[in-house]
Amino acid sequence: MSVAAERPAASISTGERVRGWLRNPWGRPRFLVLVTWTYVVWSIVPVLIAVQFSFNATRSRTVWQGFSGRWYWGDPVDSVWHDPTLRHAALQSLKLGGADVLVATPIGVLLAIGLARWRGWGSRPANFLMLFPLVTPEIVMGVSLLLVFTHVFTFIHTGTIAQILGHVTFSISYVVVIVRGRLFSIGRQYEEAAADLGASPTVALTRVLLPLLTPAIVASAAVVFAISLDDFVISQWLSSGGGTDTVPIVIYGATRAAPLPSTNAIATIMMVLTLLSLALAFLAWRAFTREERRASVATEFGGFTV
Amino acid sequence: MMSGAGSFLAGCSSSTTPESKSKNGEPVGPGGLPMARPDRRVKMPLWEDPIDSGLEPETGGTFTVFNYPAYLYKKLLKEFGEKYNVDVQYTAFDNISSGIQRLASGAVTPDVMEMTPDNLSRAVAGKLIKPLNLDYIPNLSKNVWPDLVSPFYDVGSRYTVPYTIYATGIFWRADKVKEDIASMSQPWDIFWQADAYKGKTALLSEERETIGMALLRKGHNDINTEDPKLIDAAVADLKELYDVCNIKVDDIQYQSVPEGNSWLHQAWSGDPIAAYIYYLPKGTPPTALAYWKADKGQVPVQNDCWSICATTKKPVLSHLWLNYLLDNGIAYSNFVDFNGYQPPINEIDPATLVKKGIVPENLQSAVLTNEDLGSDSLQYGTLTARGQQLWQDGYSDFLAAG
Amino acid sequence: MYRRWLWPGFALPGILWLILLFVVPAYAVVAVGFGTVDPVLLQPVPLWNPADWNTGWLVEVLHRLQPGGTFFGVAVRTIVYVGVALVLSLLVGYPVAYYIARHAGRTKNLLLVLIILPLWISYLMRMLAWVNLLAIDGYVNRFLTYTHVLSEPRDWLGGQSSTVILALVYGYIPYLILPLYAALDRIDRSHLEAARDLGASPWATFRTVTLPLSKAGILGGAVLITLPMFGDYYTPNIVSGAPTTSMLGNQIDFYFHYGGQPTIGAAITVVLAIFLTVLMAYYMWTIHRAARDVPAV
Repeated sequence: MSVAAERPAASISTGERVRGWLRNPWGRPRFLVLVTWTYVVWSIVPVLIAVQFSFNATRSRTVWQGFSGRWYWGDPVDSVWHDPTLRHAALQSLKLGGADVLVATPIGVLLAIGLARWRGWGSRPANFLMLFPLVTPEIVMGVSLLLVFTHVFTFIHTGTIAQILGHVTFSISYVVVIVRGRLFSIGRQYEEAAADLGASPTVALTRVLLPLLTPAIVASAAVVFAISLDDFVISQWLSSGGGTDTVPIVIYGATRAAPLPSTNAIATIMMVLTLLSLALAFLAWRAFTREERRASVATEFGGFTV
Repeated sequence: MMSGAGSFLAGCSSSTTPESKSKNGEPVGPGGLPMARPDRRVKMPLWEDPIDSGLEPETGGTFTVFNYPAYLYKKLLKEFGEKYNVDVQYTAFDNISSGIQRLASGAVTPDVMEMTPDNLSRAVAGKLIKPLNLDYIPNLSKNVWPDLVSPFYDVGSRYTVPYTIYATGIFWRADKVKEDIASMSQPWDIFWQADAYKGKTALLSEERETIGMALLRKGHNDINTEDPKLIDAAVADLKELYDVCNIKVDDIQYQSVPEGNSWLHQAWSGDPIAAYIYYLPKGTPPTALAYWKADKGQVPVQNDCWSICATTKKPVLSHLWLNYLLDNGIAYSNFVDFNGYQPPINEIDPATLVKKGIVPENLQSAVLTNEDLGSDSLQYGTLTARGQQLWQDGYSDFLAAG
Repeated sequence: MYRRWLWPGFALPGILWLILLFVVPAYAVVAVGFGTVDPVLLQPVPLWNPADWNTGWLVEVLHRLQPGGTFFGVAVRTIVYVGVALVLSLLVGYPVAYYIARHAGRTKNLLLVLIILPLWISYLMRMLAWVNLLAIDGYVNRFLTYTHVLSEPRDWLGGQSSTVILALVYGYIPYLILPLYAALDRIDRSHLEAARDLGASPWATFRTVTLPLSKAGILGGAVLITLPMFGDYYTPNIVSGAPTTSMLGNQIDFYFHYGGQPTIGAAITVVLAIFLTVLMAYYMWTIHRAARDVPAV
């Protein structure tokens, strides 16, 4: 690769670019491009096909026989709208997701701030403890939570409350990791500046730090919602039966027993909800950091590194 | 490593074998209850009094049914819910052992649940199910086959009412499997000769049925044996199946066989009928399905039951559910419109099923009559705690494919 | 400005929660694994005092894990599946992460979104998608027979190890690509330019600069996907269903859900947790060593 020919990209015509590309048919980038796009297709297309078959006119999940909304609302017995099992599962998933966000986000934010700034002897083990759920296999967590609810905290039976408690337990670590990243990039200077201007610690926390953390809080809320909706193992082990089954549990049962396109349909609905919530969070992040992105341009010139 | 761990833990006690207390030297089942057999009638003790007669059914709230998946016509469940103004829920377990386990551990709290005769002692001894007040279930004595009104495993129907009867046999695709299984000298051998059907052969995911089948194949007709040598030999036979046909294990034969995902499956007699009634895809002729079961004395028959769970908050409604399912019309609809498993109802005459076209002629062997039951029939029954563990360990060994 | 106790105070709710609902349950597993069994219902009776512990279950599980024992084959098979899936994931994931981090140019953001997307699509939905595709009359078979790669449809779902491994790769690879991308993205361009200025070919640059600097990312991603994979039981159930492809997680699932011996299940869980802790310790020791080696920039 020659170092000399570094003309500005805009001055190279498209033709020259393509000829340059073709002239080096075994160049590494070309192989990498192929691998990358093949991976992306292989990764996403199966899901798209599954979504397609949720609109199949017949019961088959493998042979396309026409477009129909049958499995969403049409079929009087088996569609998502009419089948109480599927409806209950969707509601349960949303219930768990919402509760998980409401409980895990505050706890996680506090824990993130605490761990990032705690300098005492307990901070290392505390940090270690926070990381553990991220690498524990879900079946180990499922086993331990089931046993604890049937033998230790027996006043909490398996069911919705237990599921929520289990979801929050593995969600906290995700909140911490996300918020912590934002904390490090903010640093302490804003609160110190506020203190210099006479703000009390409470004001510094609530009116300076918290607003700055908002993008991370929103992002972690969306992440928690998404992983809660997706969770299978913990929900299954702590389920107390039909009413507390979530959508992943229904999908699992269906893929092993009697799959219908309505399974594809409910999975599609959940996926759309997850992606919508993520898109909202992303937009919120951009909106909240818009000022910062504009400001950082100004501060860089001011010699004030952020 | 092992010796180090052993010496470290040497101070602690070590035991894994459950005790099987003997009464008068005879082995007993869980809780010291005698073990019922077709020729040994057992009356279950009452651990509490049944509910009083004449009470009003509870309404409002949820009513949970705990059973195999796809084993009850959901429309009937919905109508029951509408009639008594309750929100009905159906919770499924993978197999009866799993269901009892979840009930026993407190993980589920249903109102009514399926029960099988071989699990009844454990459920009663563990106070998992409630005794019945038969005043709420007049359909039992009115509609059910006389032999099952007071069956050998539950004399006086103190805890259960019958649901379906079935036998265990082989269900296959006649258009894919070349052998004439029914005319083989030992039809169970087909699994050990199923090389051509690799990946399309399966057994029921039940610990009793799998090991029992291997026992029956070798001519050991005591399917309630607790002889470790016999059980080990049966498991060793089953393990041969990995190499022969990469055997699978599941309970979805009623769908996988008609859809062509499975060609040779150990199955209960209700499965081919359910396949014909509900799951056969358009374009597949009914003659593609075939079923075989052994003759009396060599074929395991069983009848599933319903019981009321001790955790129910709606005992009266639960009794009415049991009665509801024994109603002639309801039982018929459940059978003919969806389930495929024969209910032992007097009005549903097995002799007429083929004539009426409910069961196609090529699946005639899937129909059971009252003669198939009786004191000389083979039925899976309760085992001692030690026997239970032997079968379970054997089955786990088979599943581990180690 | 802030009181010193403020930060531990903030951390307290979270720590308390994790202790009650993570540490205590972990101890409950140990207590059940070393406990006894109620003979009627065969339900476990946990023993909390280590002095009372019944080692029978642990001994039984270790005994079964020995060569020739019931669990030996499953354990070996699990390690093989996870190992092969990890290698395949790296072989596919590393080039993808590398391309996006270093070469993607204008399509970088689009590609980032596309590789993050599967993380938010339910794992089970992605498996469901494959179950439909791999059916006898599914698109995979139809495509392969149409292009004459196969002469007749292959039974992908009939209990094949290859299907299970491919499913594991499909399921877990997004969790590998992201940390790999992050690590590769962080590599300072100046290191690469320095190598090229010194005359190294692109391949040599990759081998001597990029690869070693991405080792931490590779290791991190590997840990992130192998540890959960060891406990996977639903993937073999969904795409196979044959005992010959079962993993260790299936045995744990069996002993807890199929009646009789949750104590054995707990003992297996204890053994698995210890094994994984050893792996984690190895990872942390390697990271610690690598951090010492890399000079401060």
